[in-house]
Amino acid sequence: MTISDDVHVPGAVASRRSLITLRDVAVHYPVKEGVLQRVTSHVKAVDGVSLTIPRGSTVGLVGESGCGKTTLGKVIAGLESPTSGDLWFDLDPSDAEDVDRLRGRDPKSMSGEDREAWQRLQGQHRLGSMSREFQRRYRRNCQVVFQDAFSSLNPRQLVRDIVGRPLRVYNEASGENLNQQVLELLERVGLGPQHLLRYPHQFSGGQRQRISIARALALNPEFIILDEPTSALDVSVQAQILNLLVSLQHEFELTYLFITHDLGVVEHMSDEIAVMYLGRLVEQGPTREVFDNPFHPYTEVLRDSNPSLTGDSVADGHRRLTGSVPNPIDPPTGCRLHPRCPVAVSTCGWRVDDVLEQLEVSSPASFEGIEAVVRSSEFSALIRLTDDDASRAMAEEVTDLRGTLGNVEIDVRREGKELRVNLPEVDDITLEVIEPGRMSACVHAQSGNWWNN
Amino acid sequence: MAHDALLRVEGLTVDFQTSRGLARAVDDVSFSIKRGETLALAGETGCGKSVTARSILRLVPQPPGIYSAGSIYFQGIEESEPLDVLEASEQQVRALRGDRIAMVFQDPSKALNPALTIGRQLGEVFAEHREASVFESAGLGSRSRGASRYLRHRGGLVRRTAYRFTHPSATKRLTEALDERVLQALADTGVPNPRKVMTSYPHELSGGMKQRVMIAQALACDPDLLIADEPTTALDVTIQARILDLLSELQERKGTAILYITHDLSLVRQIADRLAVMYAGRIAEIGDCRDLLSAPLHPYTQGLMNAIPRAETKRGELAAIPGTVPVLIDAPRQCHFVSRCAWAGKACTTHIPGESHPLPDRLVSCLRFESAAAVGAAPGDMPQQYASAEVTT
Amino acid sequence: MTAVMGEQSSSVDPNTAPRHSASSVRWARRLEVFREVLRNPLTVIGFVIIILFLLMAIFAPLLVGANEPDPYQSPRDWANIDVPPGEAGHVLGTDSTGGDVLYGIVWGSRLSLQLSLTVVISTLVIGTIVGSVAAMRGGRVDNFLMRIVDVFLAIPELIFALAIAAVLGPSFRNIILALAVVFWVKYARIIRGEIIRVKQTDYVAAAKVVGDSTWNVYRKDVLPNAITPMVVQATLDMGNVVLIGAALSYIGLAQAGLTEWGAMVSAGQSGILAGQWWVSTFAGLAILLWALAFNLVGDGLRDVLDPKTEGR
Repeated sequence: MTISDDVHVPGAVASRRSLITLRDVAVHYPVKEGVLQRVTSHVKAVDGVSLTIPRGSTVGLVGESGCGKTTLGKVIAGLESPTSGDLWFDLDPSDAEDVDRLRGRDPKSMSGEDREAWQRLQGQHRLGSMSREFQRRYRRNCQVVFQDAFSSLNPRQLVRDIVGRPLRVYNEASGENLNQQVLELLERVGLGPQHLLRYPHQFSGGQRQRISIARALALNPEFIILDEPTSALDVSVQAQILNLLVSLQHEFELTYLFITHDLGVVEHMSDEIAVMYLGRLVEQGPTREVFDNPFHPYTEVLRDSNPSLTGDSVADGHRRLTGSVPNPIDPPTGCRLHPRCPVAVSTCGWRVDDVLEQLEVSSPASFEGIEAVVRSSEFSALIRLTDDDASRAMAEEVTDLRGTLGNVEIDVRREGKELRVNLPEVDDITLEVIEPGRMSACVHAQSGNWWNN
Repeated sequence: MAHDALLRVEGLTVDFQTSRGLARAVDDVSFSIKRGETLALAGETGCGKSVTARSILRLVPQPPGIYSAGSIYFQGIEESEPLDVLEASEQQVRALRGDRIAMVFQDPSKALNPALTIGRQLGEVFAEHREASVFESAGLGSRSRGASRYLRHRGGLVRRTAYRFTHPSATKRLTEALDERVLQALADTGVPNPRKVMTSYPHELSGGMKQRVMIAQALACDPDLLIADEPTTALDVTIQARILDLLSELQERKGTAILYITHDLSLVRQIADRLAVMYAGRIAEIGDCRDLLSAPLHPYTQGLMNAIPRAETKRGELAAIPGTVPVLIDAPRQCHFVSRCAWAGKACTTHIPGESHPLPDRLVSCLRFESAAAVGAAPGDMPQQYASAEVTT
Repeated sequence: MTAVMGEQSSSVDPNTAPRHSASSVRWARRLEVFREVLRNPLTVIGFVIIILFLLMAIFAPLLVGANEPDPYQSPRDWANIDVPPGEAGHVLGTDSTGGDVLYGIVWGSRLSLQLSLTVVISTLVIGTIVGSVAAMRGGRVDNFLMRIVDVFLAIPELIFALAIAAVLGPSFRNIILALAVVFWVKYARIIRGEIIRVKQTDYVAAAKVVGDSTWNVYRKDVLPNAITPMVVQATLDMGNVVLIGAALSYIGLAQAGLTEWGAMVSAGQSGILAGQWWVSTFAGLAILLWALAFNLVGDGLRDVLDPKTEGR
């Protein structure tokens, strides 16, 4: 699922070389309970993300808190290992094809040629199985600028040592030569010699972020992950930093992954945008197109929640999400947004838990009358109530609920004081190509029936 | 002064004692809010907007804060005369707080007591300020001291339990009347399952829900003025949109005036009638919100609007305001924006700009709108004047 | 638009001050912190008292002479037993064996210094090692080590020290040992908590992203930022150790007749009823002042070094 060659990425180098390629990356944290610390469930922080970051471009990763974008950033930075999936560095188009072709296959079943290619690819390009030399190369070329400028600089180190650290670690320079190089880096980000021997707390937020950027540039990387670099800064300072980032990108031919929740910033800075919700990508494509014409209701709501300054922001008419973000331990089936989505329909993946949640809100009295719920699957369960009258009343209420659940077909059968509830089974809904260069994980987009008319 | 002004801040000046000298956080700030209107007070970190807001309820701790000058006149619907909050007695101010003027803070987790259920906390507001009407709904004619103490959770656990034993029906009715109020307040703010929320503790609720509870608590007594200090900054943007919807809706229904503090100019358009922009402790510009945003006159406001990233702006060319906010300790008597202003003239370093009215409903504090004669400076020292032809909407 | 003062919280303006060498900058910072600490008058008082005790300990032979063969036994003036302060050439009086109280106080300060320094330094080192290993390794190692720490912590300090010292036999050295065994766990726990907190910061993540080795990250980023509460605790413990040590020797776990303050309090106890207050009182005062001084300094340090207010 690479971005097709039809898409023009402004400012990119002619070759469509992918700097970072993610395939089905997942990060699941085990939840341990009890005295014996047994693993009972997993927090699915990232649950199957595939993404390509082309060389020379700026890709924006947007989402709200809890969507997993910071975790994903950490995985790409090498700070965390994915539970499953793989990450490839610096693949040219033919390598990329080979990777996609050979990924799922058992090495023993491959031809000799293929096996050799696969070994080479793994040893040189795959994070986690790279040889030492290539791993070093990866580390040098992938740097991070963190959000909180205050906590990303060691309060006990001088600026010179902070910025010069990367150079020291790789034995690039020492002594006076080091001072000189650090000075050049500081000047490049708009600071000066008087800042060399100072402690971080003596600087303002904007200046600290510049120091952070200088550190990231020390080893002349190809790729920088910017995790909310300006979220903690005032607007006027933010503008300075953003301008700096752009000029650095041109001067050093950098590739950026811009992680943020601020749509205004991402709209301004990125060529492509990937929207994330509850551990998955819901939409992907060129920034301008995605915002002008979103292919996923979440993107639309996100866009409309950021009112623009000029122009008519008529708040009524804008769709909103209901409820709040569900627990990532047990994310909704089908499309993860469906319990909160303003335009959900019957095929979005409704399950028994959704029915129960709605019941709790709309008829709390009868909800209290439930004695037990025996689930045979996410979509089918047996509800035991106190008596026949209760089950009859509930059967009616459940049927009435259909409207709020996207008009999904709920099959309700009464057996005395028990109710058997069946919903249509729906598979996980994932990103699919809708148009060249644009992907969406919404059933509306995938079936061609648009909701926004 | 307009007759229906609810709040009138005149020349408010607040200083802080610091180890390095006297820092002037708020410098001669004046504005007014009419009944039922929403005024947004916007500015970046350190501009003094929070201190201004807290001064209205006299919440600035003294020391290190000092109310050096100015008055804050509040005239609620029931009052016949305006009251100067800064001069009033402690008792008078406490009667105002929560009842006639309420406040919602940025971080709901810090403002809610983690050890009490939501129902209990909200109940306290009603018990404190609406005791009479609670008793009435409970059908209890007289308010005995014991009953009053029971309602307000005073007097210790032993006494209260004893009271409950000796007056079972009265206490039951009181509790029900109180719960009824709480449920209504929660439902008014769109909380989906009020009964469940009432029995929950703050940590069991999401950020957006907690903020709704805060708003419910603030509006419980139908205050005339609600001060919202960056209420949505800590929330996700989709939740933020819903909270703003809620505030607009509640304002329409109850007619509450709102003072909305924020650093995010893009929010302001949705919620505010009028907008005041602050910089370095002073008001730079006030006017009708939409008009101001589409045609800002003060150089700072212009710079701020240009600095906000938009898709239309060419990348790398965001008009950043150079420099940083000056330190306001023993600050010189001049325009504080002078070191960053593209139009600055010599007079700007020697004179503090007064209030100009280039448009009927616009106040700007900038020497560009004043004549050399009025200021008392040499014409050559004045910044480039705004041509009257430019001053159109 | 160039001479704009940036927002900063130190007294030096980083935008205009000239550059010095790195070590001079570091010392300047330490001096700044030190000056900040000395702002509190109580802390200054504590410092003064400590310095006085230090001088007393160092110059003991000059102040009161050294007794032969064991300077830690007070010279016995059998002609003047139970003499009240000011008489017969004994400024603070004598005890029931004719031992000079002043002599005991002065030489006792040496013992106190020895006791507190030995215990604090050894427990600091052991605690740091154990706590660091636990926090940096995590997982089972952490679990195992912390369970041991929990067991130690479950026993009240004084009782525990008492039990150990009693088992080992009465001697000053054994008191030191007992206290060391009891006190190290506190430091292990403190530093473990701090390291865990520091490990989650972005600057540690930044160091890892750069690719620095775990040892370097520990040495440069983790340890320097985790050590602050330890310094505060160590200062406080300099006082507390003497307090508890005195309690132990009061009970009789030190050698007889030793010029140790706790032993002196104990020795003078029987005389109180007979009106001979000076032995216990002066020795007790010495203990009090010592503990108080270190507590004042420790509190002062804590106020200044608290990470919440540090380097805003």
